[in-house]
Amino acid sequence: MGAQPPEIALDIRDLRKNFGGIRAVDGCSLAFPRGQISGLIGPNGSGKTTTFNLLTGVIAPDSGAIYYNGDNLAGLKPYQVFRKGITRTFQITRIYREMTVFENMLSASRLSVPERQGRARAEELMAFVNLTHLRDEYGGNLSYGQQKLLEFARALMPDPDVILLDEPAAGINRTLLADLLTHIHRLQGMGKTIVIIEHDMNVIMNHCAKIFVMDYGLKIAEGPAQEIQRNEQVITAYFGHR
Amino acid sequence: MTSREHLRYLAYLGAFLVFLAVLPFQIGVYYRSFVMFTMMWVVLALSWNIISGYTGYISFGHVVFYGVGSYASAILVADHGWPWIPTLLVGAVVGLAVAILIGYPVLRLKGPYFAIAMLGAAEGTRVLVTVWDSLTHGGLGINLPNVENSMETYFAMLALMVVTILVSYWVGHSRFGIRLNAIREDELAAEALGVNTTLYKMAAFSLSAVFPAIAGGIQANKTLYINPDGEFLLLITITMTLMTMFGGKGTVIGPIVGAILLYLFQEVVWVKFPFFHLIMFGAFLILVARFMPRGIVGLFIARGWARKGMVH
Repeated sequence: MGAQPPEIALDIRDLRKNFGGIRAVDGCSLAFPRGQISGLIGPNGSGKTTTFNLLTGVIAPDSGAIYYNGDNLAGLKPYQVFRKGITRTFQITRIYREMTVFENMLSASRLSVPERQGRARAEELMAFVNLTHLRDEYGGNLSYGQQKLLEFARALMPDPDVILLDEPAAGINRTLLADLLTHIHRLQGMGKTIVIIEHDMNVIMNHCAKIFVMDYGLKIAEGPAQEIQRNEQVITAYFGHR
Repeated sequence: MTSREHLRYLAYLGAFLVFLAVLPFQIGVYYRSFVMFTMMWVVLALSWNIISGYTGYISFGHVVFYGVGSYASAILVADHGWPWIPTLLVGAVVGLAVAILIGYPVLRLKGPYFAIAMLGAAEGTRVLVTVWDSLTHGGLGINLPNVENSMETYFAMLALMVVTILVSYWVGHSRFGIRLNAIREDELAAEALGVNTTLYKMAAFSLSAVFPAIAGGIQANKTLYINPDGEFLLLITITMTLMTMFGGKGTVIGPIVGAILLYLFQEVVWVKFPFFHLIMFGAFLILVARFMPRGIVGLFIARGWARKGMVH
């Protein structure tokens, strides 16, 4: 394996995934900086969510490597990736609808954590996202925005080092979004690495230290917001040729 | 849930246990058998609930474990002269082995595919038991030594029921149970949140197989005659399914209440309408699925008489 620079949390090298004849991820290499908020953007079908799925073991790559703390995660199962300290949310929320908010939270508690501690952390995180008053309500009875917050809080249960958020702003109102972004910055302040896939450019441009742009399964650009906004290749990917 | 609440439930169970321990000395053989079979249905419904209620894998072939348990016990008692109580443990081991054998391939399937595969597994085992003449006596079945053991079988079933209730209670109120519920709700999300779903499903399936296997053994030693059609009867699976759904699947109390009420109902209807009871049973199943998808417990929750969720 190649050495992974310490300032890089997740080092993706030449990742490939085909679905039949479609090259969803086509030799993509990305290096997400440790302790920063990074954005992963690109037009629909550019391979962003597939990259998240490959990172978290939901699907196995055809080839390539994903280095994290010196280990290659490629081909691991989702629960193995989780146990390495990487959690995620989904594009369409996947909360447990017939379980209460508290049960949703406890479901993600590490077994090595004593039950009492797991419960305390669940209570703490529910308070963190203002869901304590809905503690004993079924997940399915929450509004969409509240479900997003629940999924976000649930992903924090194991105190992960890396948090992958797939379209956290989609479908939630501005007030909730502001809360969510505050929480994300607090996590970054605690040294967590956060990667956000998002179509809301205000979120990406104003909150991400580094932005990666994908198109047709490939990384076409990376850099801070100002650079990305001026990048001709990015503009072409989104709007076509002038 | 606080320790005080756990203790309160344990006290209810203790009182229930004392009542059931005294009861057989006050009633005749018929009612003793009736209560014993009621307890057997409680065991079967609670067991089915572990894999189908908690984990969401609806098994249409759970009778297979009951059947192999009854055969393991009957063969050892009738052909090898074993005393019947140790044969129950052998039945449990056989049930567990069959669960691992069937579960490994079948638990890779989901939804209706799993349900149909389980139905096929039960039917396949019935056919195997029927044709394996040298071991099982084939379609002729097995006669067990004729002894009056209604008191012994009663207490064996009572002990099994208590263990099954305690295990179900533990599953329902533990992180193991929460993870099973997570698999039921969204298997992919559960795996992404650290649940080794293959291992958990296998554990739930195995646990749900052991108790029916022991119950089958006790039943064989009570009825003193078994045959493949009777021990692998599809209706047994349907009954445990219906009892659990009626009471409330995915809960501890639901299958207990469902089994007691429906077995009582079944006996009354069977006595009064010997030719129509199956039709009435079928109609009941449709009504429950249509109007009470969460069962009696669900009604209590909807009216605010019971709390949502298992872990508080």
